[in-house]
Amino acid sequence: MANAGRVSMRGIVKRHGSFTALHGIDLDIAPGEFFALLGPSGSGKTTTLRILAGLEPLDAGQVMLDGVDVTAREPGERDVAMVFQSYALYPHMTVYENIAFPLRMVGTAKGETDRAVKDAAAKVHIDHLLARRPGELSGGQQQRCALARAIVRKPRLFLLDEPLSNLDAKLRLETRVELRKLQRALGVTAVYVTHDQEEAMTIADRVAVFMDGRIVQVGRPQDIFARPATSVVAAFIGSPPMNLLPADLRDGELRVAGVPLPAPRMAGRDGPITLGVRPAALRIAERGLPARVYLVENLGDTTIVDLDVAGQVIKLRTEQAPNVREGDHVHVAFAPEAMHVFDPATGQRREG
Amino acid sequence: MALFLPALVVLIVTTSAPLVYLAWTSLERIDLSMPWLSGFAGAGNYLQMGADPRFWHSLWLTLIYTVSTVVLQVLLGLGLALLVLRIPKGQGILRVAAILPIVLAPVVVGLFWRTLVLAPDVGLVDVVTRALGLPSYNWLGDPKLALLSVIAIHTWQWTPFAFLVMLASLSSLPPDVFEAARIDRASAWQRFRYITLPLIRPAIVIVVIMRTMIALSAFAAIFAATGGGPGTATEILNLYAYRTSFSELNLGYGAALAMVLLAITLAVSFVMFRARRAR
Repeated sequence: MANAGRVSMRGIVKRHGSFTALHGIDLDIAPGEFFALLGPSGSGKTTTLRILAGLEPLDAGQVMLDGVDVTAREPGERDVAMVFQSYALYPHMTVYENIAFPLRMVGTAKGETDRAVKDAAAKVHIDHLLARRPGELSGGQQQRCALARAIVRKPRLFLLDEPLSNLDAKLRLETRVELRKLQRALGVTAVYVTHDQEEAMTIADRVAVFMDGRIVQVGRPQDIFARPATSVVAAFIGSPPMNLLPADLRDGELRVAGVPLPAPRMAGRDGPITLGVRPAALRIAERGLPARVYLVENLGDTTIVDLDVAGQVIKLRTEQAPNVREGDHVHVAFAPEAMHVFDPATGQRREG
Repeated sequence: MALFLPALVVLIVTTSAPLVYLAWTSLERIDLSMPWLSGFAGAGNYLQMGADPRFWHSLWLTLIYTVSTVVLQVLLGLGLALLVLRIPKGQGILRVAAILPIVLAPVVVGLFWRTLVLAPDVGLVDVVTRALGLPSYNWLGDPKLALLSVIAIHTWQWTPFAFLVMLASLSSLPPDVFEAARIDRASAWQRFRYITLPLIRPAIVIVVIMRTMIALSAFAAIFAATGGGPGTATEILNLYAYRTSFSELNLGYGAALAMVLLAITLAVSFVMFRARRAR
């Protein structure tokens, strides 16, 4: 394919007055990839997407699409389509006219437009709503209309700015799966902005994690989950996210809240460390860290137990209903392999 | 009942009663210069209009005056609003400045233009044209130019109204829709034609309706600037009715002319409001 949808961003800097929104972003996205930009609000992920779309001027850096520098090009000249968080449908046009708009603007023949519009509408199951106006559609239907408007032009790049955030929880899960199938079927590159780590982890081939205008980690979801690059990423990914506890490493011995624990196989200087353990890796045992049960949240198939360990709340997740009650004094333990070690000063991961 | 009765009485006394009296007068022959001919005339005053060239002339002027001032107000108002919208700061000052002509009494506007702007030799326009080496014109005294001048005066006073309404409408448009249009490959002109215009159409329609109703019954500014003259060069229907009643003291015929103007205004408004609801 000539227009494969290979994205390459180099040294993207964006400032709003004295505030720097993006500190030199570098990003490479392969053709056909479903790529998520994940981060909390204000981390720069939406700005990055808007720069990619050409909606936002940048202060430094270069945007390349399929090897061509498009930094100075208008959004319409980039052959990219976008689904906005607000959907941004044309309120005075019918669904049909909305979907036809990108084709009409470049003078596509009527018959061809008609076929493409009906085809796109059928793909997202709104072919029975073509005569309606956006104001007469439900949120989910508006979202599909926005999707159809994006896919009708068969762009090389599909930009999605939190497209599911305005849907209710059930619809969000369904649409997520459909979106993924649609992208696969079209074979188009998709860049997807979300603040929902679960969404990013389930939908994306690869994820870039944004924090304070920087990309802190890029990788496959399972790799980011298994080996978060920093303690901040660790505390952002997972549901509930990783527990982080201050600990001490001395002469190969690990101490948490004064309790010695079997040390993991990890290199590292002696001194204070940040110890990370996923909630699912914790279990209630005979021996281990003394803790007090703070709260038991029963979610049906899983239970989350909030534990007070030396004044800090950590979370434990288990599939079996634990035989504990709020206020109980228990011990928690975990396997040495489940430990993640981070530098408490820089937050960087220490490798074993 | 007891609560709104006073209001109802006031309304009837101040609006309905004079209207009924006007309608009744229009059916009478009351010519104060020939009082001995007074009496009931039936439709006589109305039938007389058909053969009255001055009536048709004033009707024609009313049409030209209304259409041209409304079109000019909409075009200039929209153009100005689009320009001002691009100014990042200081829009507030422009909005306040735009209100000034609107709050002036039309009589003041007419006099101000007659004495300071359009007067021969000393008027602002003449000073400028002569400084540029262009010939001097008698803007209000020349029958060919007088109509242009009163159209300019009305447009000057009321374009700010159109401008303010359009500006408010334009600034309330959702920015993401325009971003979507940019991504959808719409050029600046296409965005204006297919997004901006349809979205501000309600504002344009309401400006057209309101300004048409006012322009049809315009009076004070023209009265102060030209008095309908020179001759009958700026004598729109409203001025003709006034002159007939109060200069020529033919009250019956003047009332009939006023009734015709009222009927035209009501009919045009009715048609416009219907058209507005149709889409």
